[in-house]
Amino acid sequence: MVKWALVALSYLLIAALPAHSQTVPQETPDAALARLLDDARSVLKTECTEPGTGRLARVLCTGRIRIGVRDYYPLFGELEDGVRFGYEPDIGLALAERLGVEVEFVRVNAASRIPLLASDRIDLVIATMGHNTQRDGQVRFIRPHYYQSETIVVGPRDMKIGGWQDMAGRTVCGTVGNGSNAEIVSHDTRLMLFDEAGILPDRLRDETCFLAAQDDSFFDFYFIDETFAQRFERKFGFAQVPWGMAVALEGRGQLAVALDLLSQIFHRDGVFLEIARKHRIGTTFLEKQRDLWSSPRCNIATGGADPDCVLPALDNVMAPTSFSDAVNRIEGWFDDSLGLEISLPMFKTESAWSLLKSGVFYTVVLVVGALAATLAFALLLGAAMGSRLLPLRWAAHGAIISLQCSPVVLTLVIAATVAHAFFPFSAMVAVGAAIVALGLMNGANAGQAIGEAMSSLREEQREEGATLFLHAVGRSASQLVAFLVNAAKGTPIASFIGAPELLSALTDITSFSSGRGTTYFLLLVFYTLVVMVVVWLGARFRRYLERHRATA
Amino acid sequence: MTMNFDRLFADFLPQLLAGMTVNFEIAAISLALGLLAGLLLTFGRLAGGAVGGTSASLTALMRAAPTFVVMFFLLNAIPRGATLFGVPMALSGVMVVALSLLPYAASYVADSGVDAVQQMRRGSPLGALLILPNLARAFFVLVMSSSAGAAIGVGEGIAVILRHAEQYPALGDRLLLFALGVICFGIPLQLGFAVIRHIQRRLGQRMTRDNAGPV
Repeated sequence: MVKWALVALSYLLIAALPAHSQTVPQETPDAALARLLDDARSVLKTECTEPGTGRLARVLCTGRIRIGVRDYYPLFGELEDGVRFGYEPDIGLALAERLGVEVEFVRVNAASRIPLLASDRIDLVIATMGHNTQRDGQVRFIRPHYYQSETIVVGPRDMKIGGWQDMAGRTVCGTVGNGSNAEIVSHDTRLMLFDEAGILPDRLRDETCFLAAQDDSFFDFYFIDETFAQRFERKFGFAQVPWGMAVALEGRGQLAVALDLLSQIFHRDGVFLEIARKHRIGTTFLEKQRDLWSSPRCNIATGGADPDCVLPALDNVMAPTSFSDAVNRIEGWFDDSLGLEISLPMFKTESAWSLLKSGVFYTVVLVVGALAATLAFALLLGAAMGSRLLPLRWAAHGAIISLQCSPVVLTLVIAATVAHAFFPFSAMVAVGAAIVALGLMNGANAGQAIGEAMSSLREEQREEGATLFLHAVGRSASQLVAFLVNAAKGTPIASFIGAPELLSALTDITSFSSGRGTTYFLLLVFYTLVVMVVVWLGARFRRYLERHRATA
Repeated sequence: MTMNFDRLFADFLPQLLAGMTVNFEIAAISLALGLLAGLLLTFGRLAGGAVGGTSASLTALMRAAPTFVVMFFLLNAIPRGATLFGVPMALSGVMVVALSLLPYAASYVADSGVDAVQQMRRGSPLGALLILPNLARAFFVLVMSSSAGAAIGVGEGIAVILRHAEQYPALGDRLLLFALGVICFGIPLQLGFAVIRHIQRRLGQRMTRDNAGPV
């Protein structure tokens, strides 16, 4: 045991020394690995079966390494007729060969790969796992990383998308929980979310989605298909994430160091690159890494500790709100006292809290605006419908019929299309277009009721002019209020054209956090309350109009 | 790209009509379920007491629930793989939209049902029959509202229009395509309303004749 401690200590001391302060010649990674393995093998006889044996010693002793790989991740890890193939199983085999042991592959998925490591059911995981700062506390990542993916936006070849500047107001299909969702929504782009990435190519083909965002490693497989590649292309990429093999935190010492050195050697010698070419996955990153790890600065035993050689983990820890602890306590209280597992992600991180606040703001603007627009269009179209001027009456009638024939979503899209033809996309333009569309749709129906009331009052030989109009408004009060309520109820649909109201904001929040059930339940309660408040105000407004009509 | 009229008639219109059948399917499912739930609420409200109060409150809540939010709630709140008494509860997109329209349909049926029963009690069976044109009107409102399905990837009529509109960057072409969509949705809607008006007129004439009695 003392010998192990000395080996690890000497490696750490070497790794900690700055490159320029070491004496030449530097130890090569090959020499360091050979020394490490020799040292490990030399103690096998005495320590192999003892409890508390290090993982490298155990692997060498049993002659077998248990590696967690994926069953179905095209090109990277697949299982067919009991045979595993793909980039990652081949890396596992290459590592085992260098260690002089056999491989026992174990099936893992995104949810099980870390727990299986922690419970010592596997020694190593090579399973499409992105290295981020959150996971650093759960496993020990092997560096240098064996691959790097990025999220790419894929769309039809004839659609001109050069970058984020062309994405505002567009809808992108993605998957729930994808780490890149937060960045997508921060560029005024809407998300249509699916549970599984596997469905995205089909949704692109049947044109349910015009654009889809997912890891380039995922789309690599589909771009092999010529038909797919002829129709679609990669538009641009973002959110680069290094992929790391990982071992458990406990008992990791020698195994992790050995794998670090092997990974370094594999990059330098182009082993990773060769395996990647065999499986037809993207090689740009691996080519750059081969050059980097062949350079004198990195091609030394301590290269893995040099920040100029290794990539940093992706920093995905979001800043918590000042009251996130209180929110956690509330969630805990619900769980302990009522047995209810609720999740309130919108209050926990600054980015989610900020989205929530702006969502509430835009919702209020939208509801107030939709009510005002409905009232204005109702009065305008009502006056035109009740006019004695035939062309004006016909024009109003035509507008009302057209608006009644157009489904709500189509009217919104038309309003947004016209607005975007004159103004660049912005949240306020989307909100403005939605207000006009909701006002026109509901105002048309209410205006028709006012027009009909004016006709009926004329038949009753009542007064003309402004007095007649006011009486007609009073007579159609219940219809007017019904369509005001309808306008308030319709406001969430504005999210369809990119208005960042509360539904939109919470969809964005749940796209990068958990707690969808609780979030949408709270949203439903919020909007139902908003509508009930409008119903209450509408009832008061109707009583006012009817009282006014009675006294006139 | 300028509008290709050959393609429009060969490609767009058949797809739009196929998409519109999905809108009608959603409306039919929603109205059928709404009839079931709405009639229960009607009987509950007529029963009075606590049951009546509860039914009236439920109707008010359903009236206030925004369809679009209900749709997203259903889509996100039901976990994948959830079962009810051992039966899988995975909902298709069409069913999610149909169920999201259920609160509106049920509250509308409940309100119309209570009106109809009150007409019957006043001795006007023909007045009670007005529930039929009211249900037809609700059906067409549901057809138009089912366009919300476009937001969750349901291949209904509006989704077809939007898909084709993406291929025409020019504002004029897009507006022409949208106008075609309005006409295609408008024809069955206006025909439906004409039938409703005809039924109402016939019922009104019969009511007047019955009230006048034999001459």
